[in-house]
Amino acid sequence: MSAPIISLRHVGKSFKDGEVRALEDISFDVRPGEFVSLVGPSGCGKTTLLRIINGLIAPDEGEVHVMGAAPQPGPDLAMVFQSARLLPWLTVAGNIEFVLQLKGLPGSERPARARALLGAVGLREFAEAFPHELSGGMQQRVGLARALAVEPKVLLMDEPFAALDAMTREVLRKELLQLWSRRGIAVVFVTHDIDEAILLSQRVVLLRPRPGRIDEIVDVSFPEPRWQQDPRTSPAFVSMREHLWDRIHDMVRDGAELEELAGAFGNVDWSTATFHRSFL
Amino acid sequence: MIEERTEQPIVRHRPPAIAPVAVPMFARKGNTARRRRLENGAVFGVQIILALLLLAGMYALNAVGGNLVMPNPNDIVAESVLMWSDGTMLKGLGESLTVISLGFLLSASTGIFLGVLLGGFRVLGRVLDPFVNAMNSTPGAAFIPLIIVWFGLYTEAKVVVVWNAAFFPILINTTAGIANANKELVEMARAFGAKRATLFWRVMVPDALPSILSGLRIGAAICTVGTVIAELTMAQSGLGGLLAAAGNRFQMDRYFAVVIVLMALGTLITAMLRLAERRIGRWRVSLADGR
Repeated sequence: MSAPIISLRHVGKSFKDGEVRALEDISFDVRPGEFVSLVGPSGCGKTTLLRIINGLIAPDEGEVHVMGAAPQPGPDLAMVFQSARLLPWLTVAGNIEFVLQLKGLPGSERPARARALLGAVGLREFAEAFPHELSGGMQQRVGLARALAVEPKVLLMDEPFAALDAMTREVLRKELLQLWSRRGIAVVFVTHDIDEAILLSQRVVLLRPRPGRIDEIVDVSFPEPRWQQDPRTSPAFVSMREHLWDRIHDMVRDGAELEELAGAFGNVDWSTATFHRSFL
Repeated sequence: MIEERTEQPIVRHRPPAIAPVAVPMFARKGNTARRRRLENGAVFGVQIILALLLLAGMYALNAVGGNLVMPNPNDIVAESVLMWSDGTMLKGLGESLTVISLGFLLSASTGIFLGVLLGGFRVLGRVLDPFVNAMNSTPGAAFIPLIIVWFGLYTEAKVVVVWNAAFFPILINTTAGIANANKELVEMARAFGAKRATLFWRVMVPDALPSILSGLRIGAAICTVGTVIAELTMAQSGLGGLLAAAGNRFQMDRYFAVVIVLMALGTLITAMLRLAERRIGRWRVSLADGR
């Protein structure tokens, strides 16, 4: 087995001077070319974890290694956000050329590269359009093309399809799987959609909220390529889905009780408050 | 309206599965266009009626109160023709435009330069904030005696009055635009490895451009006001000087002829800057989904 491209060891992170514990004791590896999903209810620090892997923020505890070194924002790590985050004053091609310039590609090579990438996501004829002239799904495709344009070793995706309609989401998932299998990039995919996580990834990292920590890591093996036969009707998919949902329901129930307690008694210490479960 | 039209032909190339909402929009398009034409016609018609009512009011006031209360509109037209043909108006307009444009250029360049600095360096912005606020809250006219002592009574002093009035709105809009640059776009550029200077010049300043332009528009409007005030209170010159001379001699027809020119000038300047604002900021149209 090859060396991990991303490795996290006992990573912890707090906000507001340690008052809010966002992440605790997170350890897992991502191998080159692997597709890993981070799943969990809101407040479990999924996005924070992604930003730590990107090097946008530093962890308070533990170690993060991306390709053997501390992560640094740059062309090896490309991010796709929930909204496309395109620069509205640049054309679609201009947006891609912008990150190619950040990567240090000479100006003469940028236009052709940008157009090639737009071709890969089916938007070649929209190169000169402005972002606001595109639909949300098309904008997100541009976001994906921009991330792939810098030829990253790791693609970080922060709920990239959450704001899209169901049909567009379905189409883009398929395209993402195709692009991923062709390029052999490692993908870390944050989502709160269990089906999406199982459908796309080879491993699902389930996180618990408050503080965010790993609940379970589930291996997913369906026959590849997945975009040709939908695994959602297979018994294996159904049982995995059920299992993950059970875990999440537990977490959400715990969380709701804790919040109720906090409301009733003011500031309750989270660690001693769990006794309440036995009443139910 | 123009932006909407450019969007539609582009969407039309897409297979309908991607943009299903676009289909019913085409069916309604003809109807909406007709309604909009009707509305435009109605608005213009009412505007004409209001203008005629105003004119009628002027005649009525002239008939009741005499030439001092309201000059006869016919006299105003006659006086305008006279003043344009003998060169008085042209000379005044030229003097005023000199002060306006010099004052505007000076306040725009200094305002944008300092605004970029204050917006870009957060601490500097914090340090200077109370001083900027204090200066901005002082009525511009309060500085006129000081400016007379320092710069005299002529063009250079008037330019300083105009600069003093227009500088702060431009500065404040520029600073706010850069300080409030879209954080999501900044994070995006950072994630792709942009360094501080690139972030600033390629993301934050362009993002602030619409805000800078509205500062310029407000500043230009204030420049016209400042020019007239300077021309009234300092050495009389330009359109403001003509205004004062006519007013002092109770030549109300002459006075109104100048007011009309000032009105047209102000409207023209604002319209031009609004056009520039719309052209440069056209991507702001659907800001929410452009990000």
